Amino acid sequence: MSVTATAIPIQKRSGHPRPQRRRIRSSLAERIAPYAYVAPFFVIFAIFGLFPLLFTFYVALFDWNPIGEQTFVGFANFERLFADPRFWNAFVNTFGIFLISTIPQLLLALVLAHLLNHARLKWANFFRMSLLVPYITSVAATALVFGQIFDKNFGLLNWILEIFGLPSVNLLASQVGSWVVISAMVMWRWFGYNALLYLAGLQAIPREMYEAASVDGASSWQQFIHLTIPSLRPIIIFTVIMSTIGGLQIFTEPLLVAPETGLTCGAGRQCQTLSLFLYEQGFGQFEFGYGSAIGVALFVIVVVAALINFFLSTRTRGGN
Amino acid sequence: MNRRMLAIPIAAIGALALALTGCSSGGSSAEGDPNAEFEFWSFTGIGQQESVDRYLEKNPDAKVKLSEVGSTTETATALTAALAGGKVPDLVMIQNDDLPKFVENPGNFIDLRTLGGDDIGDDYLDWAIDAATGEDGSIIGIPTDVGGLSFAYRADLFEAAGLPTDPEEVAEMWSTWDGFIEMGKKYTAATGQPFVDNVETTVFFATVNQVSEKYYSDDGELIFDSNPQVEEAFQVAVDTYEAGISAGIAAWSSGWAPGKANGAFAVTTAPSWILSGLKNDAPDTEGKWRIASIPGVGGNWGGSVIAIPARADNPEAAWQYIDTMLSPEGQTEHFADTGTMPAAKGALESEDVLSYTDPFFGDSAIGKVMSDSVLQFNSFYNGPDTSAIGGALLNALVDMEVGNVLPADAWKTGVDSAKAAIGG
Repeated sequence: MSVTATAIPIQKRSGHPRPQRRRIRSSLAERIAPYAYVAPFFVIFAIFGLFPLLFTFYVALFDWNPIGEQTFVGFANFERLFADPRFWNAFVNTFGIFLISTIPQLLLALVLAHLLNHARLKWANFFRMSLLVPYITSVAATALVFGQIFDKNFGLLNWILEIFGLPSVNLLASQVGSWVVISAMVMWRWFGYNALLYLAGLQAIPREMYEAASVDGASSWQQFIHLTIPSLRPIIIFTVIMSTIGGLQIFTEPLLVAPETGLTCGAGRQCQTLSLFLYEQGFGQFEFGYGSAIGVALFVIVVVAALINFFLSTRTRGGN
Repeated sequence: MNRRMLAIPIAAIGALALALTGCSSGGSSAEGDPNAEFEFWSFTGIGQQESVDRYLEKNPDAKVKLSEVGSTTETATALTAALAGGKVPDLVMIQNDDLPKFVENPGNFIDLRTLGGDDIGDDYLDWAIDAATGEDGSIIGIPTDVGGLSFAYRADLFEAAGLPTDPEEVAEMWSTWDGFIEMGKKYTAATGQPFVDNVETTVFFATVNQVSEKYYSDDGELIFDSNPQVEEAFQVAVDTYEAGISAGIAAWSSGWAPGKANGAFAVTTAPSWILSGLKNDAPDTEGKWRIASIPGVGGNWGGSVIAIPARADNPEAAWQYIDTMLSPEGQTEHFADTGTMPAAKGALESEDVLSYTDPFFGDSAIGKVMSDSVLQFNSFYNGPDTSAIGGALLNALVDMEVGNVLPADAWKTGVDSAKAAIGG
């Protein structure tokens, strides 16, 4: 196979493609086989990925009652969406939680990876493995435990505050407070995963480069800025984009953080994210059309944010 | 060429699928047999199996496949998905809060008048039947139970505060909501403790249902923002909060169960189905609680109907269950078995219900209080957005209690978010 594969361009370049093409056509099975091998993924993706995506765009144009009438309304759902204070509230919440959770998380992961990469670290494998423990813990379990830590009546946090004679706080009642609680959950769950990605990147940097930098008199900070960061750039771009996509779709944590808050994440919707708003409208109120419009808006927001990320991340290369 | 070759197997598969589904729907030989196996969707935690066992005792030949789907909301969600294009059950329970959006499209269900006659609703509470009646007059559900509404209060704490402890005296003293707030002020002044657990579920849920028209007018117009009755009901909750007698502990929040045990508040809302939870949450307070009628007149929280989807495989079998179990006699018996408040007028006036007491609640006349509350309850029209509007107003009160909204702004906040919720 590899011989044939490399042979084709050579043949093309030399201007004699005909005999080769005829030979391939003669074997139909050989031509179809590669497509057959990749087909299962694409068939399943088409059914469970592409079709729902396109169907969402379609449903968003309707006033769609799943057990009643479906009326075409054009862009009325989107007009309503942009005038809906609940949508903008969810938008602000989503970005608030995203910023509070992602930026410190990635910085922390970078520092941690740097420490774990230290040549003289004992038990290095143990520490590296334990980073994955939060990641393999169920989100639901994480959310319940964090919810209890920050509970206003019997939470661990308020218990500690009480010991020091401080007044108890009800973090979940305020907007910024509930963002902090949810961000803490996201950070706890993901920083180890990102640290491991960075660690893998760090280990691929040859030690000789650091030795050469030391010989040239670079301080360890200068080594970090001018050697480590540029070498890790592809991985940093990857983690930033993945965190953006995940962070903007955050759902389970705000849903489960407190039992009484429900689909609005609090009476004032103080921590309701866009995905949770989508779920509330689509599957709480059964407004499928409006829920789909939120889904389309969320899709556009994620794509735009990922593109901005990508351009910002690649731009830094030019400044080097 | 390729495309045509692909088309053949696809067409074949399609034909096969059609043949298979055709087979399954046409092949049910049990059509019309009242003892054929039928599928029954119920909620978890209401002991439905006991009723089914009782039914099988009466009809040994019948076959029931009971599925306890989940909470009331989860069951309604599953039913919505099934009606939208899945396998529907033959018989399904729907909680009253979820009912309006199903009643809005009565065609999804069998009009039970076709099975039980036009007078089928006469045995039941008018408002409970009205809630299950579509615009075209079709009755899609038979009420299985109601919630009733009372207040539970701590007699020992009342006594310590110098208030009367006998349920009838208490009910007399708080016969109006003003009287209720006055009592609360006395209690809080005497003990330094809050009087009531919260204003949203205990006060607002009670007051907003003591109206002649709620969020919709009788002919189905949305009037929640202009109906003075709703605003007054809301204002009672705000006044209660401003009197400083609310503990601000939301129902089912982490502080609620311990609050019932440790006296963080003396009064909480008590529809009939909440009583067992109160016993579980505060077992050491046995004998200290009393049950009294709520201020104002009439009340209800909860209740369900049972319905047969239009696409059900065995409607006759499902109907036989309804006919056997939901008659006034059947509901009286069910009350004796499980303590579920009946929705049939005859059962509510039966001796079994009226004489019901419980030593945990100091032998208060629970049955009489609950029965009165639903017999005096007003019928009003509930539309598809009733629960969304109610949720928005309730959340405004919760937000007021945690200090995010000023009492003076609460009504406007609630109305604005209700308007956003219904898209107007």
